[in-house]
Amino acid sequence: MFNRVDRFVRDIGELDCEEDLAGALAEISGDLGFHYFALTHHVDVRRSSAAIRIHNYPDGWADWFDDQGLGGVDPVHRASNIAGVGFAWSSLPDMIALTPEDRRILDLARKEGIGEGITIPAHVPGEAHGSCSFACVTGERPAGGSLPLLQLVGAFAFEAARKMARKPLAPRPVVLTDRQRECVIWTARGKSDWEIARILGISEETVGEHLRHARERYGVGKRTVLAIHALFDGTIGFLEVLRR
Amino acid sequence: MRVIVRSANAGPSSDRTLRTMFEDRKSVFVDLLKWNVPVIDGRFEIDQFDDENASYLIVAGDDGDHLGSARLLPTTRPHILDSLFRDLCASPPPTGPRVFEITRFCLSRRQGANGRRATRNLLVSGLVAHALARGIRTYVGVAEIAWLQQILAFGWECRPLGLPSRRDCGTLGALRIEIAPDTCERLAANGIWDPAAEPADPIRKAA
Repeated sequence: MFNRVDRFVRDIGELDCEEDLAGALAEISGDLGFHYFALTHHVDVRRSSAAIRIHNYPDGWADWFDDQGLGGVDPVHRASNIAGVGFAWSSLPDMIALTPEDRRILDLARKEGIGEGITIPAHVPGEAHGSCSFACVTGERPAGGSLPLLQLVGAFAFEAARKMARKPLAPRPVVLTDRQRECVIWTARGKSDWEIARILGISEETVGEHLRHARERYGVGKRTVLAIHALFDGTIGFLEVLRR
Repeated sequence: MRVIVRSANAGPSSDRTLRTMFEDRKSVFVDLLKWNVPVIDGRFEIDQFDDENASYLIVAGDDGDHLGSARLLPTTRPHILDSLFRDLCASPPPTGPRVFEITRFCLSRRQGANGRRATRNLLVSGLVAHALARGIRTYVGVAEIAWLQQILAFGWECRPLGLPSRRDCGTLGALRIEIAPDTCERLAANGIWDPAAEPADPIRKAA
């Protein structure tokens, strides 16, 4: 079976959209005896535009899961966050203290047809925890010996999804020149172009140019929005604006 | 912080950087990870592969102290994957003059989270720069599977050599990493690439 996993790893290296990755995951899950897969960050996906989630769970289940805001509290996700390697859901009670609410979630999943499963944790330092899970239809049991195979499938699939998600989500950081930065700081302090020109000892036209270039770099049209963006990404600091 | 390459019988008495490297290796692999590997003089973690064929890529602080390192073994001779972990490979692992094995990837415990991340980035960048400078095309290595996601997230091209397997010290897996000129860009896209790694120092023969 290693050859099947090796082929999967090679194949997904060529893919560049989530739909294709979902197709490849559905196929290999089936080959390894699992009906469902779910590759996800452990966050409330509806509130986090950067979050990854690819799955073939029943539609009703995913909607209900989101309606309840379970991304961060799901017992499988919580157990995954403290695990180093893959684990079977049957060992959840040994990993975390299950609350009555946890047991209710697991019962509801079984009623939706999601039975026994295995979860591969995906931890990248500095990023949200994630995982890739594989589940059988309720009543069926995972094939023995599938954990090492899923360990590789989960890790490589998660990295492929991460790479796809990064492209539109991580634009290059905006960098301003020192002069542009100074002008933005004074703008944030409510100064007009004329006032900034007096303060910095340069012409009003030059200040206008600096601010125009800075707005272009952020892709914004208004000086207030420019100041907010520069504060938000740390290009200028609140203390610089408030204390000077 | 800078990258140093050492080779050939570089024992702990050679200098401060190597002495602190072998001490940190004991601290990490024996004291922390509980590996069953030899300790010399109660201070240095040194095994049979630390011989004249091994080379070391070391990130050192301004005072010369070791901050992080990896040991590189040629695959044209006995190395760890082919002598101790052959069963982690589904087929014979790649070997040859352009294939080196990364072992003892070590980050000193004498630094905080930010320092460790900076050291890790420089060490990984140094491995790539070294490979490009020396014509190494492929690295192989055995890794604890708990680290696999992080290794993949560096952005380099990585593939499994076989199925992971459970051992006393954790679940282990064998990997191959392909190095090409675009590997630097792939690391950069993941925020890993540290330009200070380039160009790699030529290998210095220790006295």
